[in-house]
Amino acid sequence: MASYLIRRFFYSLFVIWGAITIIFAVLRIIPGDPAAVMLGSNATPEQIHSLNESLGLNKPLFVQYGQFIVDVLRLDFGESFRLGGPALTHVLERLPFTITLAFTAILFAIIISFPLGIQAARKPNGAADRIISFVSLFGQSLPTFWVGIVLILIFSRVLGILPSAGAGSVAHLIMPAFTLCLPFIGMIVRLVRSGILEELRQGYVQTARSKGLKQNFILYIHVLRNALIPVVTVLGLLLGEFIGSAIIIEVVFSWPGIGRLLINSILYRDYAVVQAAIALIAGIYIILNLIVDILYGYIDPRIRVEES
Amino acid sequence: MKKWYSVFLFLCVFALVATGCAGISGDSDVSGDAKSDGSNSKKQEMTVANDVGIISLDPYGSAHGEPATILAATQIYDTLVKNDGNKLVPSLATEWKQPDDLTWVFKLRDDVTFHDGTKLTAKDVKASLEQLVTRKESPLTVLWAQLDSVEATDDTTVTIKTKTPLGNLLYNLTLLYITPADQATSKDFFRKPIGSGPFRVESFQPDQDLKLSGNKDYWDGAPKLDSLTIKNIPENAARMTAIETGEIDATWTIPADLIDQLKQNKEINIMDTPSYFYYFNWFNSSEKPFDDVRVRKAMWYALDTKAIVKDLFGDTAEVMKAPIPSSIFGFSEQTPYEYNPEKAKQLLKEAGYPDGFETRMIWSKGSGPQILELQKALTSYWDKIGVKIVPDQLERAEWIEKLTALDWNMDLQTNAVISGDADYTLGRLYISQANRNGYKNEKLDELLIKAKQSTDADKRAQFYDQANKIIWDDAVGIFPLQLKQIYAVRKNVKGLEASPTGAPNFHKVSIE
Repeated sequence: MASYLIRRFFYSLFVIWGAITIIFAVLRIIPGDPAAVMLGSNATPEQIHSLNESLGLNKPLFVQYGQFIVDVLRLDFGESFRLGGPALTHVLERLPFTITLAFTAILFAIIISFPLGIQAARKPNGAADRIISFVSLFGQSLPTFWVGIVLILIFSRVLGILPSAGAGSVAHLIMPAFTLCLPFIGMIVRLVRSGILEELRQGYVQTARSKGLKQNFILYIHVLRNALIPVVTVLGLLLGEFIGSAIIIEVVFSWPGIGRLLINSILYRDYAVVQAAIALIAGIYIILNLIVDILYGYIDPRIRVEES
Repeated sequence: MKKWYSVFLFLCVFALVATGCAGISGDSDVSGDAKSDGSNSKKQEMTVANDVGIISLDPYGSAHGEPATILAATQIYDTLVKNDGNKLVPSLATEWKQPDDLTWVFKLRDDVTFHDGTKLTAKDVKASLEQLVTRKESPLTVLWAQLDSVEATDDTTVTIKTKTPLGNLLYNLTLLYITPADQATSKDFFRKPIGSGPFRVESFQPDQDLKLSGNKDYWDGAPKLDSLTIKNIPENAARMTAIETGEIDATWTIPADLIDQLKQNKEINIMDTPSYFYYFNWFNSSEKPFDDVRVRKAMWYALDTKAIVKDLFGDTAEVMKAPIPSSIFGFSEQTPYEYNPEKAKQLLKEAGYPDGFETRMIWSKGSGPQILELQKALTSYWDKIGVKIVPDQLERAEWIEKLTALDWNMDLQTNAVISGDADYTLGRLYISQANRNGYKNEKLDELLIKAKQSTDADKRAQFYDQANKIIWDDAVGIFPLQLKQIYAVRKNVKGLEASPTGAPNFHKVSIE
């Protein structure tokens, strides 16, 4: 286990290095100059040149890259052009909001899709199954920003029971988290359903039945646990997805997460913040993957990390 | 199964910690009901929202000049001179005089303290101005290019010397916010800065919200509000919902198509004021076909400007009458170009383009409200005189790069004269040396320099009068409309005055 984790750790460092190197290069290849964006459309070329000079952006690219890597090794991602202050601080300030939203969304996804998936698997192609698959497909097809606005109109404007924007209380979380998980509910429902159906065909279910166990006992105690493996993989990756790509939802609900920070920083060519955010998101993905791998072992003892 | 529980427990703890960090508490704040009951007679709490977030409270940095930063700065800091919309009025400076053309002497109030209790003196003013002129990332540093020196003669006297006479100096001072001399260079200072203004900073999250509390010791009388929160709600539907439900008490920059709906709400007042923001469509006069004034004029005659403004913008804009908005010092009304496609075709024929031509137009999507609709309207009018537009919508960063490199035929954008003085745009953008649109005219250069260097307001107005006319008659660009600032304010809010920059001062505002 220890040697596996060490191997995994170095592998992770390599991945993060790759991610920040790619983003370093991409940011500098795309057109647009941070100094010009900071000074706005009325600036003179002399102003832009002199600002670039003082930001160190006139130096050769490989010199900038070398300095960048040295700084990153000391966990210094540089100063934010747009917001001022260390870039990493700005990203870390947003992180709790992003994680809260992602976890709540995952929780909602589990609470909603597990019962539906199990219900659908009880009688495949029965009425309940068809309705569930139709509804979840419907939820999957709705554009997120539209769902968000409609929810605001219903629950804030008409009913007046939920706040329309911002963060700060549990009530603020409900609509963004639901909107975030909605498109993925259908996917998880189908995974749960097909996982259970697959398992129900296994020999041990026959054995359990012939032992005289109740259907529900078989379903919840034996089958569900085995059906979980693909679901856990997806949930783990989904959590990463939620952290990295909740941008539209963050804008619609004025949620102060990393996504909005990231997109604004890209638009303003705020190199330091983009790099810090990407490194952090890559790191989170890696940790989530690791957790998923370890969870496998718990769910199914046949898969042990040492063997992989 | 036990292992399962431990994993679950771990996740729960993790989520809880994260939740705690995000400052999420159990009590929900659906403030619609909370606001309307009697509790607010004790505490004057106000929440407002804007559409573009406050990214920085640094009044010398790259965000200075952004309406959102000016909004924050107006509440937190003071300036020597204020622009009350029509004229310049004293603020920290009680009086000023000019011993000669190059020297300005300002007398400061001696009863002003910063939020931490220290006294505001001439040294702070000197440090603030020096800070602004040395910060390369500030778009406004250029306003002070002619500065020679600033001295604190004594605690209440500031002497500013310029290399050449500087006619817009007082207007420039309306954007110089005063911070304490000893802290202005510290990097962390602007996370929670100290000023001398009517409100203190309680907390600040860039792009999210700024929480302020009333400064009871404010020299011009304590503000009536105990607290003021400025939130960023980028999504229009959410922002309109928030004002309708009472989650926020005021908001501004209302899209044209949402005004009617708000007007139906009896709890909301709609106010408007001419703004410093306007649209223009520049021609690149340095190359064909727009090097010919007849072509540029033809483009304008081809447009039914009145119809475009009325159909697209309704109550949120008015037709422009000069190359700068009407509320700016230096504005002078010009003869409008009538809608006359025949004349346009005739002019194109004279210029040697009887069949029209093809030309490329750049713009950035976020530049202004309904820019896409405006661009489409212009395109369809020009299509009728045979001018085909190749649209080139760019992301802001790329657009600025192309714009400054003169890599375009036509450029559609908004601009703002935030200092309130014509020099801010005319003096910077239309002088040949700046070469912003390829237009060169020595007569105009001379007028703009004279206007900048004269300290006599009447003479300056005369120079700008002629400059307006040259830019308008030579059709350096098309100036279709100036935007209004539309405010939606809950009925129980008193004393809020609409501001042309989108930065109202909340000093005198109260909630009933």
